[in-house]
Amino acid sequence: MPQATTMQDDPYFIDFPQRIRDIQAAMAQQGVDVYLGSRLRTLSWTLDAFCPWRSHVVIPTQGLPTVITFVIDAARVEDDSWLDEDHVWGYGPMGGQDQISLLCDLILPHLPGGKGTVGIESGMATYLPEGNLTQYEYERLSAALPEASLANAHNIVDRLSLIKDEGTINRFREASRIVDVGHQAVREAIQDGGYQGMTETEIAGLAAYAMRKAGSEWEWSFTGGNEIASGYRTGLAAGACTPASRRELRSGEPLMVDLHAMFKLGLGDHAHNYLLGPASERQHWHAQNFVDLVDLCLKTYRAGISPTSLADELLDFCEERGFAEYMVPGFEHGIGMMGDEWRIGLNEGPFPYWTDPEHLYQAGEMVICAMQYACPEEGIGFRYENPILVAEDGCEAMSKFPLGIEEI
Amino acid sequence: MGNFKYLSPEWAAEATRRLQEDLTPEKMKHLTSSMTTVYTNCPDGQERTVYYRLEDGVVQEVSLHQEDAPQAEFTIKGDYETFAQISRAELKARAALMSGKLTLKGNLVKALRLAPVVDRLNEVLATIPTDF
Repeated sequence: MPQATTMQDDPYFIDFPQRIRDIQAAMAQQGVDVYLGSRLRTLSWTLDAFCPWRSHVVIPTQGLPTVITFVIDAARVEDDSWLDEDHVWGYGPMGGQDQISLLCDLILPHLPGGKGTVGIESGMATYLPEGNLTQYEYERLSAALPEASLANAHNIVDRLSLIKDEGTINRFREASRIVDVGHQAVREAIQDGGYQGMTETEIAGLAAYAMRKAGSEWEWSFTGGNEIASGYRTGLAAGACTPASRRELRSGEPLMVDLHAMFKLGLGDHAHNYLLGPASERQHWHAQNFVDLVDLCLKTYRAGISPTSLADELLDFCEERGFAEYMVPGFEHGIGMMGDEWRIGLNEGPFPYWTDPEHLYQAGEMVICAMQYACPEEGIGFRYENPILVAEDGCEAMSKFPLGIEEI
Repeated sequence: MGNFKYLSPEWAAEATRRLQEDLTPEKMKHLTSSMTTVYTNCPDGQERTVYYRLEDGVVQEVSLHQEDAPQAEFTIKGDYETFAQISRAELKARAALMSGKLTLKGNLVKALRLAPVVDRLNEVLATIPTDF
């Protein structure tokens, strides 16, 4: 039975044909004759399928898009997607079936006389699997379409995907519920001395097992799936990326558990922290600092503020409490359906392809509220992450696992 | 009986007869599809196309064309000599595709699923005594 969510009364329903029509309307406004999407975020947002292999989606000015993906995965992509067999093609190392030949077959019928504008996705990203068109692809397509011009048009999808629809939000809510199941499993496993003899990788695995049982498709983060840090690794300077290691958990040390679950391309991402007892007063001081800051941050998020104004307010609080030097001065990263991670909003800031610090949050936007506290000299640190939905008068934190740093 | 001249009307008629006789609908998986094979650089310098049409696993048509070939679900294109080598069993069709000697137009996922069926068709064509 196909996996696609096509019933309008399904809470996870997304109107993908309407998304395509919205893209087509924007193409008309920008004079784009055919849109060539290559970024993972664009593929997820238009197809409702996870495309782990290099893939491209070709969107004409009217009608359905066609995706090409590695032939070994094309039938599965079709099964997951709302598109039919005629609009999901496989490429392979075969005459006429390589990526460039297929793309030209799909693009040329939409360029009368071979002339016109092909909207492409180019740029740079902190996120490795972003999927911008490569230089090689650009050169080969330019040579194969000599009368056409290739113009950067990723802003079309970026603009349209900024405000999340109900189906997307519900997918994130469910992914976050699943992450909470993972956190509960970790908590049950480590309490009453259960952590003794366990490694970070074991924590990552038992959380993954619990989340998969609850319906997660995978631990989606490219940073190593479930990120687990213990002891000094929690306090690595500015260290907000800790793939689980084989390090054994030890008493008297902090433990950071950052779990990731995916539900229909909606992403759960929540980090929770522990002190493996006995904890010192100093450790509790650090912990209280962090919990109070997270609490303040969640109360501050609302439409109309910007990353800069949020950072100013929170860093003032850190300064007053005497722990400013331990805070990484960033409090969120962007999020959307699988592949849309890191940058918030459009590419409008002073540094290309980074978040615009003056971006004004709007109701319906989602970000990962993300904070990292690191004190390398004391070997202690904490992380908080949680998808939040920005509203006019506040925000909804999607993971409901209670905020706190408890001593286990 | 003498040999048939490759890509002649007589060869096409013999191909139709043998395909209908030797291939059962079950063997052809009740396939409904169409395919053209486009031969470039024929001995006379021309390009020729053979059009195959199957309905419910029965070969309904094998026809020769020069400029007016019908649209088909799949098109395989290559040099006359490449096709001749395949017909003489000197070259595997898959190897010709993988090396780029032949090009395929059409949905690769479907084509891979149908490849064994097409192989059966080619096996019958290879039995026709042919002068290339």
